[in-house]
Amino acid sequence: MKILVINAGSSSLKYQLYDMTDESVLASGRVERIGMDSSIVTHEATGKPEMRSVSEILEHTIAVRRVLDILVDPVNGVIGSIGDIDAVGHRVVHGGEAFKQSVLVTQEVKLEIRRLFDLAPLHNPAHLMGIAAVETNLPEVPQVVVFDTAFHQTMPRESYLYAIPMVLYRRHKVRRYGFHGTSHAYVSAQAATYLQSPLESLKMVSCHIGNGASCTAIKDGQSFDTSMGMTPLEGLMMGTRSGDLDPAVVPFVMNKEDLSVSEVNSMLNKHSGLQAISGLSSDMREVTEAMSDGDKNAKLAFDMYAYRIRKYIGAYAAAMNGIDTLVFTAGVGENSSVLRQAVCDGLTFLGIELDDKRNNERRKDVRTISTDSSRVKVLVVPTNEELLIARDTFEIVQRQLQTQ
Amino acid sequence: MTVRRTGVIGIGTMGQGIAEMLAYKGLDVYVVEQSPEKLEAGLGQIELSLDKQIEKWALTQAEKKLVLNRIHPLERLEQLADCDIVIETITEELDAKKEIFERLDQIFDASVILASNTSTLSLTELASVTKHPERVIGTHFVYPVSKIDMVEIVRGLKTSDDTFERTKHFIEEVTNKKGVMVFESPGFITTRLICLFINEALHVLEEGVASADDIDSAMRIGYSFQHGPFEMADRFGLDSVLAALERMFREYGELKYRPSIVLKKMVRAGHRGVKSGIGFFQYDKDGDRI
Repeated sequence: MKILVINAGSSSLKYQLYDMTDESVLASGRVERIGMDSSIVTHEATGKPEMRSVSEILEHTIAVRRVLDILVDPVNGVIGSIGDIDAVGHRVVHGGEAFKQSVLVTQEVKLEIRRLFDLAPLHNPAHLMGIAAVETNLPEVPQVVVFDTAFHQTMPRESYLYAIPMVLYRRHKVRRYGFHGTSHAYVSAQAATYLQSPLESLKMVSCHIGNGASCTAIKDGQSFDTSMGMTPLEGLMMGTRSGDLDPAVVPFVMNKEDLSVSEVNSMLNKHSGLQAISGLSSDMREVTEAMSDGDKNAKLAFDMYAYRIRKYIGAYAAAMNGIDTLVFTAGVGENSSVLRQAVCDGLTFLGIELDDKRNNERRKDVRTISTDSSRVKVLVVPTNEELLIARDTFEIVQRQLQTQ
Repeated sequence: MTVRRTGVIGIGTMGQGIAEMLAYKGLDVYVVEQSPEKLEAGLGQIELSLDKQIEKWALTQAEKKLVLNRIHPLERLEQLADCDIVIETITEELDAKKEIFERLDQIFDASVILASNTSTLSLTELASVTKHPERVIGTHFVYPVSKIDMVEIVRGLKTSDDTFERTKHFIEEVTNKKGVMVFESPGFITTRLICLFINEALHVLEEGVASADDIDSAMRIGYSFQHGPFEMADRFGLDSVLAALERMFREYGELKYRPSIVLKKMVRAGHRGVKSGIGFFQYDKDGDRI
C-alpha cells in the first residue's frame, strides 16, 4: 500500500510518499509560496537528485495537482499512475476535545475541524484546504487526519484545566491541549521497543526540543501531562517563544508600552525566547557557538533554556512519582549534546548519569546516552512524525477495508 | 473572485497605510505616484512604519522583508492592467480624481473594480466620467489603516450589486475588516459625525468653557475615546478636517457644518497637526506627543 502524507500550511505544502510494505520513503518534497505567481516546488525521489521548479500555483488544489503530476512524471516520478496512491494522511494541528485519535475523513470530521478554527486560526484552515484539495484531485482515495493534540487527550482534568473561572472552559474550551503529540507518541513507542519493555510499564519524560519545544510526562503508556497549553506558547523557553511567565506581565506590559493584543501576541511568540535573551539568534546552534566564544548573553540564554527543561523534568518526575526513562528528540534534542549535558548534569539526584562519550556520539538511530549504572535510562530517539501519520493512515484504511 | 493583485494609486498617508496593510495580508500591491520622488518618499514612509512596528514587537525583520517585497512601485497607470481591484487614494480634489478615473476606465476591462478612498466626494460624480459607472465604488479606510478594522463601502447611484458584493467580500475576507454599507452622502457616517464632534469641541474651546487639554481628557476618559477631539484632529490633519467641514457645509448648507474660526486660523498659520509637528498639541517626528 502506498500512502501520501501531507502537511498543509497556509502558503506551503509538504509531502512524503510511503511504501508501507517496508515503510520506505519513495519521494518527498514541498510546495512553497502557494498563492503567488512564483511558487517553488522542491521534489526529491529517493536515490535521484533533488529537483526544483518555479511556476504559478494559486491555490492548494493546484498545488496537490502539481505534486501528483511530479509523482507520476516519467523522469522524476516514482509511481506509474495516480491510482497507485491508496490513501492520504494529513497532519492537523488542533483536534480539540473531539479527536482522541486519528480518524478517517468524513463530512462530520471536516465540520469539526472547521469548528476548531477559533483555537488554531493559523493552522486548521490551511489543513482543511489541503483535505479539500486532495478530495478534488483524488475523489476515490480515503483520507485520514492525524492530530498534534490527540495524544494528549488522555491527560486528566487536574493536568489540563487552568485554575480560572470554569465558565471559560465551558464557553470557549479554554484548557490545556498540548502539541507535538504525534512526535511524543512516536518517540515514546520507539523508546519502549528499544528498551524491550512495554510502554505501560515505564515512567517516561519525552523532551521534543526543536524550534518549538515541549516536555511530556508519559505514565501507563499515556500522556499524563505536557508543557504546552491551550496554544504552543506555554511551557519551555523556545527559539522565539517565551514559554511560561506570570500572566500579569501581559496586561502590565500592554499598559506600559501601549501595545495592542496582536502586538503583545507577536512579542511573546516571535520576539522572545532564545532570540530575546541572546540578542543574537533563535537558533540553538548559533547560540551555543556564541556561548563557546564567550558571549555572555548567549550563555545566559542557554542557561535559562536548559534550566527550564530541567525544571519540567523534575516536575514530571514528581507528577508521576518517579521516572525511569528520559527521551530527547527533534532538531535540538537529537543534535545538541551540550544542551543534553547541561540538562542532565543537574539531575543526578533523580538517578540520571550521562555517559559523556555516548552523549557526544553523532548517530542517526535510537541510542542510550546514560551510563550502564544510571537508574534512569536516557535516550536519544530521532522523531519521525510523517512515518507515524503514514502508519496511522495505513492502519485505519486497512481496518476500513476489512469491515467493508 | 479571489483578489491577488491590487493597485494603489497615490501613496500619501492613506495610500501608504492601505498598501502596507494589503501587503501584510499577503497580496501583491502595485503602487503608482505622480513622480518618482513622491513614490520613493511614500515607500520610505512605509518602511519607517514597518520599523516602528518591529520596535513594538508586532513584526519581525523577516516579516518586514516579505511585506516590502510584495509592494511593487510602477511608473505609469497603464502598468496596473493586471490588477483585480484598484484603489485610488490621491488628494481629495474632485477634478484630479475625475481625471484618474477617466484613465482607469480606459485601461481596465469592465470586470475590474475601481475604488476611491474618498471621504467626502461624490462617487456618482466620479463615476460619471467612466463608461462603466457600475464598477466604481468607494472604500473609505480609516486612519491608521492597519489598526482600524472598519471600512465604509460607499455606493454611488450606479454602483452595481455585484460590484458591492465583490468589494464587501474583498474587505471582509481578504483584509479582515468590517465592511459597512453606506449610500453616497457627503461625509458618509464617520467623517460626518467625527467632524461635527471636533467642530463642536472647537466651539467649546472658543467660548472659553475649558482648555483643549481638559476637553480632550474629559472625552477621552469620560467616554473611552482613544484620543480626545483635539488630538484626533491633530492626527487627521487640521487641513483635512477643515476641508471636510467646508465641503459638508457647502453640500448640506447647514450652519452646524460651518468650520470654527479657530480651526481656519490654525490652518492658515501652518499648524496642521501631527504632520507639521504642531497643532493643538506638539508632536515629535515619530508622531508621538511631546
